[in-house]
Amino acid sequence: MEQMLADAAERIFRDQCTKPALDAAESGQFPARLWQLLCENGFQLMALPDSGAELADLFAVLRVAGRFAAPLPLAEALLANRWLGGEGGDRTADALNTVALVAQDGNPQWLDAPWGRAARRIVGVADDGAVFAGKPVAVREAFNLAGEPRDQVEVRDVRPLPCAEPPLALLALARVAQSAGALERVLELGIGYAQEREQFGRPIARFQAVQHMLAMVAAEVAAAGRASDAAVAAIGSDRFALEVAAAKSRVGEAVGLVAEAVHQVHGAMGFTHEHQLHHFTRRLWAWRDECGSEAHWQALLGRRLCALGADQVWDFLATSS
Amino acid sequence: MPMLQFDPVQLPKAAEALRHEVRDFLATNSDRISAPNSDFSSGHDADFSARLGERGWIGMTWPKAYGGAERSFFERYVVTEELLAAGAPVSAHWIADRQSGPLLLSAGSEEQRARYLPAIIRGASFFSIGMSEPGTGSDLASVRTVAKPVAGGWRVSGTKLWTTDAHRNHYMIALVRTAPADGNRHGGLSQLIIDLAAPGVTIRPIRNMAGGEDFNEVVFDDVFVADADVVGEPGNGWSQVTSELGYERSGPERFLSAFRVYVEFVRLVGADPERSEAAAVGRIAAHLMTLRRMSMSVAGMLENGKTPNVEAALVKELGNNFEKLLPEIARAAAPLSRSGDGGAQARFRQTYAETLLLSPSFTLRGGTREILRGVIARGLGLR
Ligand SMILES: Cc1cc2nc3c(=O)[nH]c(=O)nc-3n(C[C@H](O)[C@H](O)[C@H](O)COP(=O)(O)OP(=O)(O)OC[C@H]3O[C@@H](n4cnc5c(N)ncnc54)[C@H](O)[C@@H]3O)c2cc1C
Repeated sequence: MEQMLADAAERIFRDQCTKPALDAAESGQFPARLWQLLCENGFQLMALPDSGAELADLFAVLRVAGRFAAPLPLAEALLANRWLGGEGGDRTADALNTVALVAQDGNPQWLDAPWGRAARRIVGVADDGAVFAGKPVAVREAFNLAGEPRDQVEVRDVRPLPCAEPPLALLALARVAQSAGALERVLELGIGYAQEREQFGRPIARFQAVQHMLAMVAAEVAAAGRASDAAVAAIGSDRFALEVAAAKSRVGEAVGLVAEAVHQVHGAMGFTHEHQLHHFTRRLWAWRDECGSEAHWQALLGRRLCALGADQVWDFLATSS
Repeated sequence: MPMLQFDPVQLPKAAEALRHEVRDFLATNSDRISAPNSDFSSGHDADFSARLGERGWIGMTWPKAYGGAERSFFERYVVTEELLAAGAPVSAHWIADRQSGPLLLSAGSEEQRARYLPAIIRGASFFSIGMSEPGTGSDLASVRTVAKPVAGGWRVSGTKLWTTDAHRNHYMIALVRTAPADGNRHGGLSQLIIDLAAPGVTIRPIRNMAGGEDFNEVVFDDVFVADADVVGEPGNGWSQVTSELGYERSGPERFLSAFRVYVEFVRLVGADPERSEAAAVGRIAAHLMTLRRMSMSVAGMLENGKTPNVEAALVKELGNNFEKLLPEIARAAAPLSRSGDGGAQARFRQTYAETLLLSPSFTLRGGTREILRGVIARGLGLR
């Protein structure tokens, strides 16, 4: 199931997430055709409890989305639909719902809503994990450093939604999976460029300094991928939030190293707007801070370990596979 | 591009049951671990190794015919990681268990297996690695120690360097030149089992910067080695040496060397840490959780009969860098002092200092970081 969905998503993203499409989305134009195709294939419903897909499948699809820098709020749309549950109307194909952060309980100014401007309904998540539904009435447009819309939205008709799962950890895991995918793509771009760019009469891949940068990158990318898989595998377990914490931390650390090195390998070409590299590196930089930075999740994991005590730390680490 | 794949591994139930046996054993033998150190080559304790041998935890994956237990790679993994995490003294049997025994099983003669394996399994016979020389470090094929054929065997002359525990162990498996290179520098190399007590062997310990005397210079002056102690065919040494690498490079000893610093750091910051202290604890845990999973993935590949040399190099590269990073993270976040910490500050400082002084070796031994990056780059198709 997971592989089938990921393959289907990949076909759509490969076609649709072209450089012009990424540029258009960054100028604020919603990728309606992409969303329509995803809806025609039923992706908007895949996180609903009765969809037949596992929640893990969602994260497999998000990893593919990350590989293509898919310029739409897929995680938020699908999780919003999940948390809105069977509440009618939301199953219609073209309705985009999204998720925003609620600074305080019931506050009508919701923050950082991915594509809030295009959303029909908004699910708000508070710091303590409380979940609300709201109807957007006014939007102040804003972008993250990757040019992805992160809007401030004024909402009405706010009411609590029952949610039996940890919404913040799921949102963080979405960024983890997207980042794992984008990191793989950045490694591919680095290897491809090193093999094709020639200086001093040979491909720069022949220079040991370049080889070593990319070897380090490959190691970081592999670690990020493994950390992401582990957190996905922990969905539903009582360690879920802690595994997400570890993954968000590990992936965030990989991002800094990988983005720096692969830009170095690309020379000035990778610094141009025309080159596609920045669509991935800017997203990686943005995503490591979204849904809780490394420090946030590290402290959460660290507090738990400190509460267990020094002589229990190993047992915690060894109780995971 | 070939993507490196690290598939999840679920430890079998038998391995988890074993984990508790090992912990009970460690608790009963805590008197032998008065100064815990997770570095696999710190702590040579023949008596402790013999006790492990009694439990069947050395050579535990090897055939029963030689005294082994035919247990899985995962069970061995659990035993080794528990011993390292506890900081137990494992260096005496470590090389024989990890490398020499498996080499004899894959390339050795029946006679060699029958002769050497049972004593290794009992924890009574210890081996060293004889690769490096004064003129040979990363460029292993350049070894100059020579073995000349004589009636019934070989006469060995030359110098091995940095041989860990040669002054405490019984045998060395040495890579030597048995025939001239003749255009192919990987040809003409052979692996010999050399009795370190044989006439003509001179062993001189070399003090390291941490004050320890663990590695040695070993000089061979016309030392006789019987034909029966050549491992595999003469001239096949290079391919044998390189096929050991998956075993040598991916185990938990490649990321746990500094683990005790972490334990003492957690003890120091206590149950109610500052945010920055908690973040340091969590950051280190995130690395450890990921590395352990990657290392177990490689164990899974080995269990399935694969030769994951690139994956093993990648785990070692990540693991060794992390072993150096761990003390840095801890020291930067460590509180100056906390009243009534029951000696936690002193213990942390001591463990930190011991590990920091060992840390330069982490990215050298078993293949330097630069050599490993070269292996990974080749795996990526860059060279
Ligand atoms: C604590 C410890 C225990 C050891 N125990 C043993 C043992 O038991 N048995 C044994 O045989 N050996 C042992 N060694 C030796 C170890 O295998 C070597 O240190 C290692 O192979 C590197 O060799 P070298 O020290 O001569 O460094 P060199 O090979 O001289 O390297 C020096 C520097 O140059 C770099 N360099 C070398 N070649 C290249 C290249 N082609 N490209 C880029 N950079 C390069 C290296 O990465 C390193 O940074 C031990 C070493 C240590 C530190």
